Amino acid sequence: MIEELGQWTIRNVNDLGRFSRFGAASFAAILRTLWLPRTYPLIFTQMNAIGVQSVPVVMATGAFVGMILAIQAYGQLASMGLEERLGVLINIAVVKELGPVLAAVMLAGRVGGALTAELGTMNVTEQISAVQSMGTNPIRYLVAPRVIACLLLTPFLIIFADLLGILGGWAVSVFQLRINAGAYWNYSAIGVEMWDISTGILKGFFFGGAIALISCYKGFTCREGAQGVGEACTEAFVGCFISILFLNYVFAVVLDAIYKTFWPLRPLL
Amino acid sequence: MSPKTIQPQDGILVVQNLYKTYDQRVVLNHLSLAIEKGKTTVVIGPSGCGKTVFMKHLIVLERPTDGQVYFQGRRIDDLDERELAQIRTHFGFCFQGSALFDSLTVYENIIFPIEQHVRVIDYKQLSELVKHKLAMVGMDGYQNQYPASLSGGQKKRVALARAIALNPEVILYDEPTTGLDPIMSDIINELILKLQKELKVTSMVVTHDMKSAYKIADRIIMLHKGRIIADGGPDHIRTHPNDIVQQFIHGKVGEAELAALRLGGTRFETQFLPEDFK
Ligand SMILES: Nc1ncnc2c1ncn2[C@@H]1O[C@H](COP(=O)(O)OP(=O)(O)OP(=O)(O)O)[C@@H](O)[C@H]1O
Ligand SMILES: [Mg+2]
Repeated sequence: MIEELGQWTIRNVNDLGRFSRFGAASFAAILRTLWLPRTYPLIFTQMNAIGVQSVPVVMATGAFVGMILAIQAYGQLASMGLEERLGVLINIAVVKELGPVLAAVMLAGRVGGALTAELGTMNVTEQISAVQSMGTNPIRYLVAPRVIACLLLTPFLIIFADLLGILGGWAVSVFQLRINAGAYWNYSAIGVEMWDISTGILKGFFFGGAIALISCYKGFTCREGAQGVGEACTEAFVGCFISILFLNYVFAVVLDAIYKTFWPLRPLL
Repeated sequence: MSPKTIQPQDGILVVQNLYKTYDQRVVLNHLSLAIEKGKTTVVIGPSGCGKTVFMKHLIVLERPTDGQVYFQGRRIDDLDERELAQIRTHFGFCFQGSALFDSLTVYENIIFPIEQHVRVIDYKQLSELVKHKLAMVGMDGYQNQYPASLSGGQKKRVALARAIALNPEVILYDEPTTGLDPIMSDIINELILKLQKELKVTSMVVTHDMKSAYKIADRIIMLHKGRIIADGGPDHIRTHPNDIVQQFIHGKVGEAELAALRLGGTRFETQFLPEDFK
């Protein structure tokens, strides 16, 4: 029992160590890749696969979040006669938390799974060794473009999710729940600050990086065979999901502290 | 037995006391070997004896558990990946399972090593080069196909073309003719000979095909249970006194394997036959 626990700990600490080294190597590779314009086509290919093709699912996610929030919150607010303030509630929730987090989770499933499966298959069919054998650093060739694409595009995808969330909430509130549109927007405009929107989008940068790094790492270290690839995908998704939630918590704490520090200076800005 | 006195300068590629274990299972057991520049060395040995693992150590795709690998007198097994990348440009490695990039076309596969190390300006000339390399292995005309649409033998030949794309000094072939028809195999043998003659390439070939081994080898090495049990020219191997070597090169089954086949006949009590499922 104790022995098992010990082994488990050692394994996970080892894994964490290897992941850190992988992360450091990726970081170096990313800087180098950004420095070399001839590698940009690789990044654009990945941007297309990762970003452009994720737009519909992310938009759908955002829209439904906004719509459901409207339905669920309406009853509570209406009983207090505050239904015109529905807009603040929906828009703050969408822009600050639900839009970024759910869009990231959606991406973890869609992009993370695909990256792990792709790199995992390349690993077990020795394609990664082949890249190495030809004197190319596989992290630079395979990981860096994917991480860069994810880093750059996740914030944009979050903008899409936010936008559709706001529209979905508005549509349900105004057309289905018959709230006055003018009041809806007025209260929203007062309640939601630029700070909320921009930090929500900023989070996307980190979520995207975490998703790509974890998925690529799991692909690179995946075990032999179809089962190995399958397990790697599962582990990658769970890893991404937990990291997103954890990062989100860290962000909440840090951003709150920053906000409070700069609150008195706000009129100066 | 190769003497322990092999020095790093004895050949273009030298391994000293190479020892490799996977989870305590010994795969390479203190191998020492010097490979001469410009010669073709053939490695034979039963399936699973560690030939592929040995070849991977030569370009440090696997790190030895113990022992050293030298290339041109310089120790390479302890270099970091960046320095290794530089060293590996001197090598061509043809993987046993082809290892073509399946998201790239045949053409893109072959220009991959070139694009990685040479600033390509003239793409027309490049496509001529690809055409030429593919023609050498009888695969011209397949430039725009993806590896998934090729047969096993065709993939192997494209992998070969990719391995020689950068005109490397040392080419390591892991079973280049396995899965090819006899005529194609012979074309590959001729290709290996031609590269050696015209470009003074040093080659190392793993093969199970004794006919091609005799044809291309300057030297044949037999691995068995992680050790070198025979080492010499084709004639030396043909007349080698060791029973294991003789059985291997003539493809004869040993007494022990036959005994395992005889054990219990062909129909076991616990065997499931189609009538059981009626
Ligand atoms: N990554 C690995 N992890 C664990 N064991 C390995 C690994 N790679 C190889 N082995 C083991 O090393 C031994 C030698 O494998 P290798 O692939 O070198 O055989 P081989 O001589 O090339 O056989 P074949 O002729 O069938 O290709 C095998 O027993 C194999 O199980
Ligand atoms: Mg092999």
